[in-house]
Amino acid sequence: MSAIPYVATTEVPEVVVQRQTRSGRIAMTLAVLAMIAVAVMPWWASTGTIRSVLVLCCYIAVAQMWNLLAGYAGLVSVGQHAFMGAAGYALFVLAQTYGINPFVAVFLSLLVPAALAVPIYLLLHRLDGPYFSIGTWVVAEVFRLTASNLPLVNSGAGMSLRVMKDYSAFERNVAMSLLCAGMLLVTLGGSYWLLRSRFGLALIAMRDNPVAAASQGVNVVKLRFLIYVASAVGCGLAGAIYFMAQLRITPGSAFDPMWANVAIFIVMVGGIGSIEGVLIGSLIFFIADRWFGEYGATYFVVLGLMTLLVALYARTGIWGLISKRWDAPWFPIRRKLVDPEPLTRRIS
Amino acid sequence: MEWFDALVQGVLLGGMYAQYALGMALMFGVMRIVNISHGDLVILLSLIGISIATAWGLGPLPVLIVLVPLAVLMGWVLQKAVLNRVVGSDPLPSLIATFGLSIALQNLMLQIWSANSRSLPGHGIESQSIEIGGIYVGLLPLIVLAVATGLTGGLDLTLKRTRFGRALRAASADVEAAAMTGINPRAVYAMATAAAVGILGFAAVFQALRSTVAPADGPAQLIYAFEAVIIGGMGTVWGAFVGSMVLGISQAIGFRIDPGFGVLAGHIVFLVVLATRPQGLFGKALS
Repeated sequence: MSAIPYVATTEVPEVVVQRQTRSGRIAMTLAVLAMIAVAVMPWWASTGTIRSVLVLCCYIAVAQMWNLLAGYAGLVSVGQHAFMGAAGYALFVLAQTYGINPFVAVFLSLLVPAALAVPIYLLLHRLDGPYFSIGTWVVAEVFRLTASNLPLVNSGAGMSLRVMKDYSAFERNVAMSLLCAGMLLVTLGGSYWLLRSRFGLALIAMRDNPVAAASQGVNVVKLRFLIYVASAVGCGLAGAIYFMAQLRITPGSAFDPMWANVAIFIVMVGGIGSIEGVLIGSLIFFIADRWFGEYGATYFVVLGLMTLLVALYARTGIWGLISKRWDAPWFPIRRKLVDPEPLTRRIS
Repeated sequence: MEWFDALVQGVLLGGMYAQYALGMALMFGVMRIVNISHGDLVILLSLIGISIATAWGLGPLPVLIVLVPLAVLMGWVLQKAVLNRVVGSDPLPSLIATFGLSIALQNLMLQIWSANSRSLPGHGIESQSIEIGGIYVGLLPLIVLAVATGLTGGLDLTLKRTRFGRALRAASADVEAAAMTGINPRAVYAMATAAAVGILGFAAVFQALRSTVAPADGPAQLIYAFEAVIIGGMGTVWGAFVGSMVLGISQAIGFRIDPGFGVLAGHIVFLVVLATRPQGLFGKALS
């Protein structure tokens, strides 16, 4: 190794910070096209296809919210379905009981998970690592049991969103498609924007080592809190849209631990701590669910064992294996310093 | 009188929960691991016990004698095959691994035993009762409470008095320092998990005797064990026992108020303890 040349001047060398790569530009173009395609679904897809895409979008949104929590903030929650159900119920109460336009109520209902996430986080952050996880599960159970006993939400019998019959099938499809595209934009686009911002640097530092990040001036406590609330709202949005499409909500379906399984499987198999991993995992789960869902219990045994094996042997998931081989991120968040005038030219 | 009765029922229910909570407290104390398939292991052992009982026509006691060594073996294998690979300062790998295991176990049980609820025939023991001071108390819940007290006391003494207990406590205080003094952490961990799951062998027999079990029941048992440990205070064996009593009493009183409120009452007491005394009733305050 040659000695590092010592530069006596304090002058900052002229470099360009490169944020985008060719693979990133291609992926971004495809992502924008896909989002537009989702938004205009009523003009090219059947109602059945729209339903399937809606479910896929919910998988992606919930998985990305779990990824933010577990992959960056180090908060492993197994109870994010609490916020999905809470927002779902809020939508049904606002639209059905109080007669608010359901497409406005979708957005109003997000206030409920946001307001609930604050006290819940303040309570649960006292629990140590793995106990935090089970604490989130208890909270989801509390929500389910409360909904089962609450006359406002028709107790255990559940509610139906009958007001939706005031809208034609086409109007509903348009609304669902726009909501899905918006959800992808907020959860995926929002995460990408967050990761590229100053917060993103702090988040990645926190992911790699929370203690070291704190020593560098990252406010880990505050950042974790904000991520928890943001994730609750994101899950709430997915819940509100999902149950609006279902037209029916019961305590059992609203607070279904299945969503925790889905999020964990998608993120762990796809690759934790990356947006690419969430997309890969969501597609795998979506396709597996279509093809093998009919095998019921056997299918879930395989899913569970795959999650176990990934945790034991391949913690970075599929995207981790891919990115080790090819350096072509779809959503680049690294900052790369590039010399505007190559070294050879400067010497000559 | 009615409330006193609820109190007695709660203590007896707490005896059941203590048998789940001990193993969880032990594993967390030693390895900082929470095994999400904890409750599913209870159900798996219960279902195996029921199948053995019906196949060979055994009573509860012989089933217990078969099941406990089997549970110890299962715990040892679980540690060797899975947990030793994920133990560490990062909670994520162990949580995800045992979460996957939990999903796999639940659905495997669903396939083998179907979704039906089953119970272990107790040959009359489950319906006998004795009168204490004007209250009729079921014989089985009393046995459960006695066994839970015995297990708690036994575990406490093992931790305090035996060589194995010292090794466990050393590994839980500082695993690297313990390794330097000649303790093999992996061996200690394997024994801790074997003991924790072994206790679940008792829990499995009593759970199957006093009520019914179905493959999907595991998560609820996990949550009760967790709540008992947190209410009692992390890291103490008797704390987990008292936490179980508090949880049992809360649920029993809740059930008296409204049958739909019982389990929720337990959760609420858990949350109140977490809000007001996060170190638990017996835990030391965090500095």
